[in-house]
Amino acid sequence: MQVPFKYTYRDTLVHRLHPLVKLLHVLLTLLLIITPLYSIRFLPVLAVWLALSVGLWSLARIEVSRFATLIKLLLGTFVFLITIQGFTYRFGDTVIVTLFQWGYGDTNLGALKLEGVVFGLLLSLRMLTAAASLPLFVMTTSSADLMTGLRKLHMPKVATLMVVSALSFTTLIFEMWAFILDAQKLRGFDINQMNIITRLRKAYVPIVTPLVLLLFRRANDFQIALETRGFGTPGNPTEVERLEFTVRDGVVAAFFVAVWVLCQYLRVQIAAGLG
Amino acid sequence: MAEFELDLDNVTFTYEDETTALANISLRARAGECVVVLGANGAGKSTLCFLLSGIVPQIFGGRREGKVRVAGQDPWDLPLYATSKFCGVMLQDPEVQLFNPNVFAEMAFGPANLQMPREEIIGRIGESLELLHLVGLEQRNPRDLSGGQKQRVALGSVLTMRPRVLVLDEPTSQLDPIGRWEVAEAIRRLKLTHQMTIVLTTHETDDILELADQVVVLDSGKMALAGSPAHVFSQRSALEESGVRIPMALEIMDGVQRMVDQPSEWTAEYLKDLDALKVSSGIKAMIHEGALQVHAEPPAQKAAVVQTRDAALEAVSVTYRYPGNPPVVALQDVNLSVGRGEIVGIIGQNGSGKSTLVKCFVGLLRPTKGQVRVNGQDIAKVSVGQMSQKVGLVLQNPDYQLFTSSSREEILFGLSNLGITGESAEAKVHEVLKWVDLEKEIETFPFRMSFGDRRKLAVAATVALDPQVLILDEPTTAQDHRGRYQIAEIGRRFRDEKGRTVLMITHDMDLIARYAERLIVMWNGQVLLDGPTAEVFRQVDVLERTFLHPPMPTQVALQLQPVGLPGDVIRLEDLLGALGRKSA
Repeated sequence: MQVPFKYTYRDTLVHRLHPLVKLLHVLLTLLLIITPLYSIRFLPVLAVWLALSVGLWSLARIEVSRFATLIKLLLGTFVFLITIQGFTYRFGDTVIVTLFQWGYGDTNLGALKLEGVVFGLLLSLRMLTAAASLPLFVMTTSSADLMTGLRKLHMPKVATLMVVSALSFTTLIFEMWAFILDAQKLRGFDINQMNIITRLRKAYVPIVTPLVLLLFRRANDFQIALETRGFGTPGNPTEVERLEFTVRDGVVAAFFVAVWVLCQYLRVQIAAGLG
Repeated sequence: MAEFELDLDNVTFTYEDETTALANISLRARAGECVVVLGANGAGKSTLCFLLSGIVPQIFGGRREGKVRVAGQDPWDLPLYATSKFCGVMLQDPEVQLFNPNVFAEMAFGPANLQMPREEIIGRIGESLELLHLVGLEQRNPRDLSGGQKQRVALGSVLTMRPRVLVLDEPTSQLDPIGRWEVAEAIRRLKLTHQMTIVLTTHETDDILELADQVVVLDSGKMALAGSPAHVFSQRSALEESGVRIPMALEIMDGVQRMVDQPSEWTAEYLKDLDALKVSSGIKAMIHEGALQVHAEPPAQKAAVVQTRDAALEAVSVTYRYPGNPPVVALQDVNLSVGRGEIVGIIGQNGSGKSTLVKCFVGLLRPTKGQVRVNGQDIAKVSVGQMSQKVGLVLQNPDYQLFTSSSREEILFGLSNLGITGESAEAKVHEVLKWVDLEKEIETFPFRMSFGDRRKLAVAATVALDPQVLILDEPTTAQDHRGRYQIAEIGRRFRDEKGRTVLMITHDMDLIARYAERLIVMWNGQVLLDGPTAEVFRQVDVLERTFLHPPMPTQVALQLQPVGLPGDVIRLEDLLGALGRKSA
């Protein structure tokens, strides 16, 4: 099994950016999507920011297939959100189809409403906007740069190492998961051949148990590897790899902030229009 | 500075579960000396490494008696980071030691933690990269490197801390021949250039003759033998009792000297640069002196491959490409046929396509082009689960499959997947556990068993499914001299008693010579050589192109061909059988 959003080195503007600038993009994205965007009229706000993220994906020369993978991963959630909102949205009158009559007050939970579907789409778009920024960061930032960048933020060395080793453990878990699936298939236990109910009922014990046991063992080995190489020595480690914050980084960071301010301006204007 | 960098006096160590792993160990070494520690699995080698480097008691608790001084200090009283300033340790598995994003960061991690000045760290990294031949790989992710490169990076990451004592716990046991050679070379260079005391544990006695100043043999935690390599390797019976194999070159000379009633006592001078050429020159001299003669009759050979057997397994123009940008061609137009009842060895460096080929045989990978047939049937539409009764593959690492609470449950799991339950399943459990000599462990929690026993249990779980073809992937990994032959022996019994086909992937040429009747050499995703084992081993030039060497008896026999030795010698017995004392 491949890790879907693994860092791949490429010589592009996005890859060369200071990790803190890319982290700024992630933070601004999160700040934007937690602001109240409750009507479909806010669509341009999300569209502007999503266009920025898609532009960065393109500048980073990341394969379209990766973006498709992202959408594929989220598709189930999108369908769920649209369906739930379609049937439960309380502020709509335009019924697309009525499946049954059941509900409370004026709301019929058996009727699929256009306004609900549109609101579900808006929520999905918010989720996509958020989800598009983090893989971009992970795929274009080496963990060496990330570690150096986090140290620049004066993050404690234990926390920095936790972030970086969590990334490396993610790769490890994917690899182990694939090995274990293969090992059990070889004994006639093939979860790919099972339906979802059988999988949930009995499939995961033979897969998860060896994974957990192996991870415990790995964690022990990891502790040995760390401590026998001086980790834990009181005081701050020497900063060996240095990242320079260039003028280009400053310009790009300013551009991100400008686009974010534009989005907020748009949001305020739209909200005022809505009264 | 103390006279000895390493000073152990009557040391006994007992783990928290009351297992005494080391008993009455005394050992001393000066700066610049290399101490090689030998012994079977479970002899206490790793515990000794842990004790010297402070991993015991800081990670694994226990009780210690006796005196331990490493670079003049006792690691018992110090936190690990303090011990790491004077004692560096490198463990068996390179994967677990590398966690930084690139080679440079990996090598900088230790000295940076010790707060060395930045310029000094960069200087040390440069020196280590050069010494270990890793220049140019600084920005590569260690996980993407070959096994040998990974282990050299792990070594480099310790060297940059400039420890006075370096502890290497089986550094080559999980590597292919290239990786083993690369790491052994790096240690040789290190010994020449640094005044470091090195403690090296290994099973590979062939690789250490040039390195070792002292050899210590551990047996069940006790020191069975200690002294110079010449002294230790002259104690044949004591070594055999401890489960340590004598280096093959000495094994040959020992056999020859016994023929002429000469004692096998080696000198340091004799062990220097000991190779096939030196051994064959010694034998030639004895032939010319009239002490030895070559038998006119060639030695009895193992049964030749029967070409008319029905094919159990066939690869027809198999190509496999791993997806990627660009795709990696792992197999290219592979054609081969394995007959029923054959024992076939597959050798080749890591990345040569061996594992991809066997994954195609069991259906874990589907060929990009071509066909895999089992008993003449194309398996393209057969699921891996269904394949388990046709072709059984025992993976290198048993821990990917073991998950139940007992050996019995572990075997029953596979059987129940095939619908075999009740009394017939119970009978099968007892049968296969007897096969692998684990009957007494029927109720043991697999994770409490030794690695060797877990591997045997994994073999038992596969054999229980009664596949028509059994594939053993690297049965020798991390195994001692005795353990590595046990699994191969199970494979042979499976063929002899059940008439099944056995494929063995291994880097151990002596094991291949002993068990495989036919040998396939893979290189760059293709079958480079395929034929009877002796014939393949004779293709020395072709093998050398793939960085492989035939077993030592073959190398010696090829040197002795001008004096009449047959060319199909592959085992020690073949070589000694072709020679004899000259009658008066």
